Parts: sequence; structure tokens; C-alpha cells
Amino acid sequence: MLLQQLVNGLMLGSTYALIAIGYALIFGVLGLVHLAHGEVFMMGALIGLQLVLWLHAGPAVALVGALLGTAVLGMIIELTAFRPIRARHGPVFAPMVSTIGVGLILQEVATKVFGGEQVGFPHRLEPVTWRVGPITISSVQLLILGVSVALMVALHLWVTRTRMGMAMRASAESTLTARLLGISTDRVILVTFAVASALAGAAGVLVGLSFNAISPFMGIDMGVKGLAIMLLGGLGNIYGAMVGGLLLGAVEVLSVAYLASSYRDAFVFAVMILILLFRPQGLFGVGHIR
Amino acid sequence: MASHGKSIALVVLAVCAVSALLGAAAPAAAQPKVGVLMPLSGKGASYGAHQQVAIKMFQEKGDALRLVIYDTRGENTDAINLTRKLIGSDQVVAIVGPLFSGESEVTFPVAVQGKTPIITPTSAKPGIAAANRPWAFRNALTSDKLDGALIDRWLAAHPGIKKVVILLDTKDAVSKSDGSVVLPAALKSRGITVLDSISFQTGDIDYSAQVTKAKSLNPDGVVVAALYNEGANVVREVRKQGMTQPIVAGLGVMDPRFIELAGPAAEGVMTVNDFWTDNPDPAVARWVADYKKRSPTPPSNAAALMYDTLDIVRTCAEKSALSGKPDDLEKDRERMRDCLAKVKDYKAPVTGATTFDANGDAVRQPVVLVVRQGKFESVR
Repeated sequence: MLLQQLVNGLMLGSTYALIAIGYALIFGVLGLVHLAHGEVFMMGALIGLQLVLWLHAGPAVALVGALLGTAVLGMIIELTAFRPIRARHGPVFAPMVSTIGVGLILQEVATKVFGGEQVGFPHRLEPVTWRVGPITISSVQLLILGVSVALMVALHLWVTRTRMGMAMRASAESTLTARLLGISTDRVILVTFAVASALAGAAGVLVGLSFNAISPFMGIDMGVKGLAIMLLGGLGNIYGAMVGGLLLGAVEVLSVAYLASSYRDAFVFAVMILILLFRPQGLFGVGHIR
Repeated sequence: MASHGKSIALVVLAVCAVSALLGAAAPAAAQPKVGVLMPLSGKGASYGAHQQVAIKMFQEKGDALRLVIYDTRGENTDAINLTRKLIGSDQVVAIVGPLFSGESEVTFPVAVQGKTPIITPTSAKPGIAAANRPWAFRNALTSDKLDGALIDRWLAAHPGIKKVVILLDTKDAVSKSDGSVVLPAALKSRGITVLDSISFQTGDIDYSAQVTKAKSLNPDGVVVAALYNEGANVVREVRKQGMTQPIVAGLGVMDPRFIELAGPAAEGVMTVNDFWTDNPDPAVARWVADYKKRSPTPPSNAAALMYDTLDIVRTCAEKSALSGKPDDLEKDRERMRDCLAKVKDYKAPVTGATTFDANGDAVRQPVVLVVRQGKFESVR
């Protein structure tokens, strides 16, 4: 059973990681938390679902559609909720408050357009399951793992090997210096939002496919957990977010399996607090998009 | 959606005002005001959508009651506030609702305090009406009156079952009481061992850990106590992880959304409720046919009970000679209460002979259902 539970935890954890990475990317460049990130995740799931329903498409189309759709949504959020405040030299934390507003708007719009009911992907996308020794693994689980790993590797290569990635790291180091060196930090921030949001959108589709519970409110818990994981891994540290996601996914599943399942979230946050007590900078230290 | 309810109320008010201006003979007492509380959004919105169809059918049969409808969103705090509003500012003679046991538990005391009869069409957790005598009633069988029949049928269909695992929602009042008290008692008294009770919470999305744990215990059958959303996802996960054992579920899953969400995994799941969907009685069959014309899905327990509850309230309002004057509101509420307390062998149009016992709870024949080819079918 332990092996199967670890597989369960790995699946849950890799979706957590995708969300947490988005938080880390944005925190890395802006030093701010994007509190509507959970809602971007939710919109990803809904966009994927609508594509599947309208076009009778498969998971691949849903995934690509959600990636693109939420990337655009992320850029709109940056242009409307962050940039105007930055341009007018508003209070440092004001954009955080404005993202709370963005989150509420997205929730309400989703409720009005798609209804407040929980919905799922059609049953023709029902996963195929295989039995490998003592564990059962489904096609959706392999998809989650494959897509998460692929996205994380792609992100790593983008951050370390491309000029845009370099510009982003420079901006994360110091926005002012980066600007003095001729980097268009506004463009960097816009691209960062697009990438971060696309990851959350992909996570939305993956969660929708595997747990079949899509609703306008699915982003609330996920958003909080993603934020906690970012904190655990180290503020603004994308590798910390990856490892932290997998760790908390495993803690959550194991607490259900061996302790009291009604307290799964309590265990998750207790572990987080414990780690932060001993390592206040997080597991991997603060802000290393280097 | 609350505004929808309000707009209905407004239209009704406007019609009354116009008829009063025209000097129409209808005296105020002819249309007693009755409050309705139900979830039109949020948790349990699908139950509420079904009840709305039932309310529309009731209203088309005659305007004997003036209904003031509010959306509780399935939330206890909303339910309390709206109950106060119905009693204090809307001055209703009786309240129909709320839907959930959790809501009923907190609103019944408010109604008792406000000396207003309140009758939930659906709440099934035992003891809630009994604790709020003499003002609280419910037109639903409590789960202790339902689960015995359910487990008997289930064991008859699957005689090999000796040990089971219970998966329960500990955040939903009726699922918690069902899964931790009522179902275990019904199982134990029939010689079935409960290997473990594994919990989750309303709104959870990942049930893989719970199901893996259940699987490792190797039970002969799986018992689920949950509402339709969570129930559907649990059942789906059970089948996904390759468990083929028979499943029985408490009455919370009795909604067409359960089958929609669970898909093929819902096949063979047994549950229980007050309402016999394919009852051949011509009056009931006509009602079901009429309902199907208005809704893409067949009627659920929640719809049938809402319709019958409104019917009982109307009958009581007609029988009790209400004065309808604001000064007599207290007296009118007492008259309604006394009438409801005396409901005995009442021929409810959809769910049949109904009696309210000393606890204020309904007594009638429970109906066991099984999912076959994507539909709830009764097991007789």
C-alpha cells in the first residue's frame, strides 16, 4: 500500500509543484505574491473543459488551449492589476490587494458563465489503468507526470539557456540594475506572468482530468497550498517550489493513509511551519532564479 | 439566483397590489405567505434546481400560497439569517426548508424562538426535529428509518458480504451521522464487520489516498456516506483503482448529478430515499412525466419532497382558517403548527401516505434504488 500511496502523493505533488512554480517566478521578479494565481489555475481547468466539450477534442488540445488561454489571462492581469500601480509608484503592496480583487472577479465571472456546480471531463476521456506489480497506475497519472516533468525541464532550460531567461534572472536580481543595463523589465515581467500563468493553466487541466472536480471554487484551496509550497521551498525559488510540491503532496497523502484523514490540511501546514521554524529561508533559500 | 426568487416574490406582490386596486374580492387570508429556503447556488445547487422545477409545478396548479423564496447557498450562516428575515420582516406563517441537515440543525432553534412552524422537505439526520418541538417538522424519512431497508436489500443482492469499509464525508452533517452512527449500527446488527471508517471532507478533490487505504483492507463491499459530488468522485476512484466490490451509498447521492459525474462507475450502486421514481400509480406517473417535460433529468427525491411539502402546507393553510391579519400572525402560526402536528395518513401526491410522528418526523415506506444503465431504478 505504501508504494501506491507514494504514487498518489507524487501525482498530487506534481500538480502542486506546477502551481507553486508560478508563484515563485512572479515573486522572483516582482517580490510580490500574486493572489489570483489559484483562480488562473481554475480558469485553466475551465478553458480545457470547454475546448473538450465544444470541439470534442482530446486532452492534448485541452492542455495546449489552457496553456495559451491562461498565458494571455496572466498578461492581462499584469497589465491591469500590477503595471498601472507600478507606473504610478503606488504603495509596494498595493498590487497584492488588487490581485485579491482580480481573483474574486474571475470566480464570479466563472460562476456566472459556467455555473457554480462541480463538473467533470466527459467519460470518453476516462483513463486506462494498468497494474504494475502492487501498484495501479492510470494513463492520466502518466500524463500528469509526463507533462509536469516536461514543463519543469522546459522551464529550467528557458531560465538558464535563453536570453529572455537571462533577462528574467537579471531582473530578479535587481530590477533597477537590469533596466540600467538596457533590459526592458516591463517586457520581462509580462513574459514572466505569461509563463507562470500557463503553468497554472496546465495544472488546472491535469487536476481536472485526474480528479474530475472542476468548479469556480477549485482554485481557492489550491492557491493557498501553492503559496505555502513556495514559502516552504524558499521565496521565489523555482527549484524549491518543485521539490516542495512533491514533498507536500506526499505528506498530504501519507497523512490520509496513516493518520486522520480529516486533518490532511492541518498536517500539511504543520509540516510547513516546522520546516520554516528550522529553516526560515525555506528549504532551498530565498530567490535563486539564477 | 436569489434575485430570481425575489423577482418571483415581487411579481406576486405586484399582482396582489393590482388585484387589490381593482377591488378584486380575494381577501388577504386567501393567500398566506410561506417562506422557502433552498440552495440555488453553491453546495447542493443541483438539489435546489430540482426543487425549483417542483415549486414551479406546484405554483401552476394554483396560487393558494404566496411563496417567498431565498437561496441559502447551502451555508448555515445564510440559512440562519434568512430564517430570521422570513420570520421578522416577511412575516410568513410557515417556512419550508432548509434542505441540509446542517442548516436545519441551526435554523430550527431560530424558528422555535420566533414561534414559527418550520418544515424541512429533505433533512435526514436523526433527532433534529425532535430537539426542536413543537415548531419543527420534516417531511423526510430520517436515515435511521431508511438505512435498515437499504442494507437488507444490499445484502440480499450480494449475500457474500461479511466485511465492509465505510468512506464518509465528515464535514456534511447527514453524511457524518449516517457514516459514523446510523450505517455502522445497521451493518453490525446484521452481522457485518466494519473494517474501518475512512473520512474525507466536502469539497475535497483527491480521494486516491482514502481509496488505496480501503483497497488494502480487502473488504467484501464498500459503503459510501456522501453528497452527490463527493460520492460520485469517490465511487469513480474506487473503480479506477480496480476495486470491483459492490457499493452501497447513503441517501446523499440520490441526485441525477451523481450518475452524470460518476459515469459508468455508478452502475450497480445502491441507495435509498422516500420517492419511488418509477411508481406505476397513474397520478405519480403523470407527475413524473410532467416533470420530465420541464427538466432534462428525471425528478429526484429533493424535488418530490419539496412538491409534497408545499402540498401539505397548503392543505394545512386551507384547513386552519387563517385570519391573515398582521395582528393575528402569532395565532395563525400556532394554527399552522397544530395542523402540521396532526398530519396522519395524509395522501401526499408524489411520495404517498405520510404521517408525522411525535418527533415531527415523517413516516412512510422507504424505497431502495439501484443505478442501472445510467438511471436510478427502484428495487422492489
